[in-house]
Amino acid sequence: MSIKLFELLLYASIYTVLISVVSILIGFAIAIFLSGMLLSRKAIFVVPAQIFISFFRGVPLLVQLLLIYNMLPAIGLNVPSIVAAIIGLSLCTAAYQAENMRGGFASVPVGLVESAEMVGLTPGQIFRRIKAPIALRLTFPALVNEAILILKASSLVSVVGVVELTRMAQDLAGSTFLPLQIFAAAGLIYLAINWLVALAGGLIERSLPGLPR
Amino acid sequence: MIARSLLKGLVGAAFLVGATLSAHAADTLAAVKEAGTLKVGTETAFAPFDFIDAGDHAGLNVDLFAEIGKELGVKIEWVALPWDGVFPALEAGKFDVVAGPATITKKRMERYRFTPPIAEATIAILKKAGDTTISKPDDIAGKTIGVGKATSQLDQLKEFSATLPSKVDIREYPAFTESYADLAAGRIAGVANSLPNIAFVAKQREGTFEVVLPPFGKKSYFGFIGLKDADHAPLMDAIDAALLKIKADGRMAELQKKWFGATFETPDAVKDPAF
Repeated sequence: MSIKLFELLLYASIYTVLISVVSILIGFAIAIFLSGMLLSRKAIFVVPAQIFISFFRGVPLLVQLLLIYNMLPAIGLNVPSIVAAIIGLSLCTAAYQAENMRGGFASVPVGLVESAEMVGLTPGQIFRRIKAPIALRLTFPALVNEAILILKASSLVSVVGVVELTRMAQDLAGSTFLPLQIFAAAGLIYLAINWLVALAGGLIERSLPGLPR
Repeated sequence: MIARSLLKGLVGAAFLVGATLSAHAADTLAAVKEAGTLKVGTETAFAPFDFIDAGDHAGLNVDLFAEIGKELGVKIEWVALPWDGVFPALEAGKFDVVAGPATITKKRMERYRFTPPIAEATIAILKKAGDTTISKPDDIAGKTIGVGKATSQLDQLKEFSATLPSKVDIREYPAFTESYADLAAGRIAGVANSLPNIAFVAKQREGTFEVVLPPFGKKSYFGFIGLKDADHAPLMDAIDAALLKIKADGRMAELQKKWFGATFETPDAVKDPAF
């Protein structure tokens, strides 16, 4: 396999990384709202959030992508391939991340919150200084996990016309008849990216404030 | 009563949406010229029409659409999808025309509009070089043959298989390139695809593949595909005119020679396809 082919794979992996990172960040923002809705205990917020989550966790990502790409034009929203890919991945990861966060907030020890109330912290302060840091600490490993899953799931977006790492590998394998070498190289690139994600995740996790003992 | 007024409201809303959509889509030729780009959908796994040559999008499609773009005075923007996703996306308005190309068939003509043919599409068998068990098309009876999913080559192979003493074990692939890889690996005995395609593959990989002549089945042709509705008529008329001009002044024959090593006699329009 020539250097040129490897360069093409690396170039395509920029799309893989770009789409995944943007989707995880957008998904994180949406997940904050969703988990807030889930924890609100008011049916008017909880029910829509539950419907959203059950849809985006229950329908295969491949089907979601095809729906977003081919159905949105029917209501006048003709989005380009890369936008459809990012919308699909973001909404899907938002559903999973929201459930992670809900679990994190639900695991904040009640005693800590009660003590905070005792010393006179306001609900806003309790959220910022007690609940949010502890929930983040508890759910951070799951967030890194989700980031790795989305990076790999991004190989599905070729169905809506984005030429990312997997699609480029297929195209090159088809025209050069070197499937073994090319897919092995693509696999190594995925492995390297995910190793970096896991490494960065580990470093950030260590710098987070520790749990009270 | 409530149900009826609700229904009325819904019908009204549907008309409103329909009206805005058609207003938006009216006269695609004007829209394409205004935007300065013609969006073309394709799959990049159909050599020599459309493939990735060491990273560059290449093939007859690329050259031919470059000429069409010159005639219409617009740039070409490519959208690459898996083949079974191309037609749904065309109908969803993701691009203006499909390069493919696709075999001109009766079933497809009911739903889509074809440009003048750009090449012959009659199918033949590609086998492994030196395989003496297949020397004529009939020899594939009872053997495993690969073919692309959602293709007319699949339909033609099925029809041919039904005429043989024992059925062909047909294996469908997402793209033809994967079936060639399986043929090289010895997982299947042959691939059924249009003669221009497999002739190109056999030439690229001399010593690995061989074409089994003659082609079988009825004569068929490849064309580009667009939508049938009135909004797309001016655009499709313009593309047809451009293609006929390209054919008349010899540019088409030149490109066929470049990609297939031979030229094809093709009619200016296919009114009544064999399939």
